[in-house]
Amino acid sequence: MSDHTQEEQLSPTPGERATHFLTRSDVRRTTLLFVLWTSVFIILGNKFYPHFMPRIMSKEMASSEKIMIWFTYISAPIAGLVLSIATNAFLNMHRGDTPPEDGPAIRNNPVIVGMWTVGSLLFVLVAIVWGLLEVNAQSIDAAANASKAVTIDVTGSQWLWTFYYPAQNITTHVLNVPVDVPVTFDVTSTDVNHSFWPVQLGIKVDANDHIMTVAHTTPTVTGPIDVKCAELCGLNHAYMETTGNVMSPSDWNKWVEAESGKVS
Amino acid sequence: MTTLDTPRLNARPVPNPAKSLITKLNMGTGVVVGAIFAAATYWSLYSLLSTYTDKVRDPLTSVNDNKILLATMFMWSIGFLVGIGAFIGPWRWLIGKDLSDEEILYMAGDGQGWKRYFKYCTDHKVVGMQYLVGVMVMLGVGGTMAMMIRTDLAHPGAKFLVQTVYNSLVGLHGITMIIAMIIVATGPFGNFIMPIMIGAYDMAFPRLNALSWWVLFTAIPVLCSSWILGGIPTGWTAYAPLSVQAGPGMNAFIATIIIFSVSTAVAGMNITTTVVAMRTKGMKWNRVPIFVIGSTISVALAIPAFPTFMASQIMAGLDRTFGTGFYETLQGGSGWLYANLFWIMGHPEVYVILLPGVAIIMEIVPVFVRKPLFSYGAAVAGMAGIAGLSVLVWAHHMYVAGWLPSMNGPFMVTTEMISIPTGLLFLVIIGTLWRGKPWMKLPMLSVFALIWNFLIGGITGVYLSDVPADNYLHGSMFVTAHFHYTLMGAALTGAIAGLVYWYPKMTGRMLHERAGYISFWFTQIGFNVLFFGMFIVGAEGQPRRVLDYAALYSHANLISTLGAYSVGIGMIILLWAVIHSWRHGKIAPMNPWGAKTLEWTVPYPVPLTNFDELPVVTSDPYNYGKGVSS
Repeated sequence: MSDHTQEEQLSPTPGERATHFLTRSDVRRTTLLFVLWTSVFIILGNKFYPHFMPRIMSKEMASSEKIMIWFTYISAPIAGLVLSIATNAFLNMHRGDTPPEDGPAIRNNPVIVGMWTVGSLLFVLVAIVWGLLEVNAQSIDAAANASKAVTIDVTGSQWLWTFYYPAQNITTHVLNVPVDVPVTFDVTSTDVNHSFWPVQLGIKVDANDHIMTVAHTTPTVTGPIDVKCAELCGLNHAYMETTGNVMSPSDWNKWVEAESGKVS
Repeated sequence: MTTLDTPRLNARPVPNPAKSLITKLNMGTGVVVGAIFAAATYWSLYSLLSTYTDKVRDPLTSVNDNKILLATMFMWSIGFLVGIGAFIGPWRWLIGKDLSDEEILYMAGDGQGWKRYFKYCTDHKVVGMQYLVGVMVMLGVGGTMAMMIRTDLAHPGAKFLVQTVYNSLVGLHGITMIIAMIIVATGPFGNFIMPIMIGAYDMAFPRLNALSWWVLFTAIPVLCSSWILGGIPTGWTAYAPLSVQAGPGMNAFIATIIIFSVSTAVAGMNITTTVVAMRTKGMKWNRVPIFVIGSTISVALAIPAFPTFMASQIMAGLDRTFGTGFYETLQGGSGWLYANLFWIMGHPEVYVILLPGVAIIMEIVPVFVRKPLFSYGAAVAGMAGIAGLSVLVWAHHMYVAGWLPSMNGPFMVTTEMISIPTGLLFLVIIGTLWRGKPWMKLPMLSVFALIWNFLIGGITGVYLSDVPADNYLHGSMFVTAHFHYTLMGAALTGAIAGLVYWYPKMTGRMLHERAGYISFWFTQIGFNVLFFGMFIVGAEGQPRRVLDYAALYSHANLISTLGAYSVGIGMIILLWAVIHSWRHGKIAPMNPWGAKTLEWTVPYPVPLTNFDELPVVTSDPYNYGKGVSS
């Protein structure tokens, strides 16, 4: 046999190497596990958040939930790859009191490291670009809606939320807002830090000691909302909560009319 | 640098213990002198301040009480260190002298048996064991508080605890666990194992090594005193201005952090210097075991991080004692200043905790899979990349604080970027597993647990780093679940794997295997039940740190509590296994796992200076495997 023939036999073509790789039993098992784990995460993303998160009542809440669902989808193949290799190794375990024989001495594979790094970078870029576009869209919305927004001054104090509607001259401890109308919350605190969280509206901003912070939202659906404090603020933090409503235009007008006449 | 010189010390006679003050000092004398210093400070300040004002006679509410309590706590710490003999060496230097060779040998604990564990002992192995016991006590106390919290949350209605106790439990559980987790790997294994791993006789600064432990020890009663003084209402983050208006228990928190920061700085400098300067011949940087790299990056990261934490607490202490108003808006200060200082420490601190745990796992995988560590360079780059980026991400904890919303975008970018080096760590672990046949002993089992837990912690971290998603999730139970998956599910799992792995070298015995397996499954299944339940209530909208909640969240909370009990049972079984095996375990062979790092080349008990002759290293410790394949 000539040297040339020997070389051909020892060096299969890339296609042959790929075929050999893909038909290996451990590779086939890992592929199957990859499909399984990826599917688990896709189903998890698809079912978990829509099932457990509260009713979506604003554009901001819709955006939060959409990000969590889609980031789970995007993570699914990465999680699937990691878990499929781990599961395959687990199923291939060696038991007993003596160690197994040495495995193949794979010290590095620059191509795999490079592909992994590029893959991670792409995943991160999607997350970053998505997040930045969303933040930017919310900022543009807030600026565009500033003139027509209903403004509500929110004051946190140990352990009570107070809402003042300056245009309507209403002071209340229940948060009512009109549907399909932009709302601006000017938030502050008279004592320690609180965090204003109208849950179903998907926004949150801290109420800082004698400093005003701002949050914007546009409620899209009528219905009840829960308002909570998301920052530990002392003794009765757990009970610093109230309720409210996103109201239809007619209900809103009736409520404003009724409350405006009251002396706060 | 004072290190033990083996040939010189071997030639020395055993000293006469009666000749030196050092021989008469121990933990008991430390406690007595510390108590005297504390009592003297308390009564002298009380008398002095009551001369000028009547407020001091009010029941622990005035700024004078804060002054008295803080000074008392610091003087306890200083007094203890005086009483245990920590300053004998520096005092000798001050008067132009030094310790004699006999005294140095005595301080190293030579021939003192169990008593050396209660002395100012400079032997790194003794310090490692002191840290191990200290960490186990702290985890036990912190874990017990977690069980109380979960018991309260089992049902809505807050029938088990009252608000003050619950809020204090939340804060004290947090800070106890954070302190324990910061030292959980670098304390016991960084001190006991790491110097042997790099082929050194000792640490670079043995006296500072002892100092780091005993300074930390003085912080433990200070933190415990918080209970007597009314607890802390702030959570472990101790946000201002709530911390400024808080009762006297807050002083204990402030003093603890300041004392702990000193300990961390000392330990961090010592470990870093040891690894940089004392590696044995032939141990080039690319031959250093990956656990040593992970620990060094971790403590190096702590060196800039913890002084910031210390500064934040000094300023909080000044606000409470002198009304400086650093954090009071109406006095020109800002709570945002505190939040920034806290998180400038707080986010690197997450990686200070995480990196050694993951590094232990990367140390274990090649040994049990009998393959080289896949892409050592990627492992180092991953950990270094995480450390580098971790100092640029702190304000993702402040997206909803209202502080500089225009910076949310840049902080979101840096935070998301950290996924790339983190991904490299996953690649190294699964790359090492690839085509391997893992030897399924207890340490190896933890590798699989870490992969799962760290993956869930990582993916949920991506949501939280994204501003619009964080607007909903911030401050909810979802965050609590996320960081427990990272710190407990990954870092603590890694540390427990390290304990099981190095237990034979540290105690000379094998850990009770069956108890270890039972503990593992109780802990890991319970852990996932506990925190999956918490993900659910977080997604549903339950804020964290509340002692009561709406009926909507009751099922998932009950499931979480059952999971917590399972973790508790698992941890008690592990504790039993550790204590029982220490005395009755099977005698361990010198190298039970067939590992190739240097600590497995020394016998048990490890000689005082580790090696008769320093070893020469000719390759990295992962040269397993046959042939080269892909």
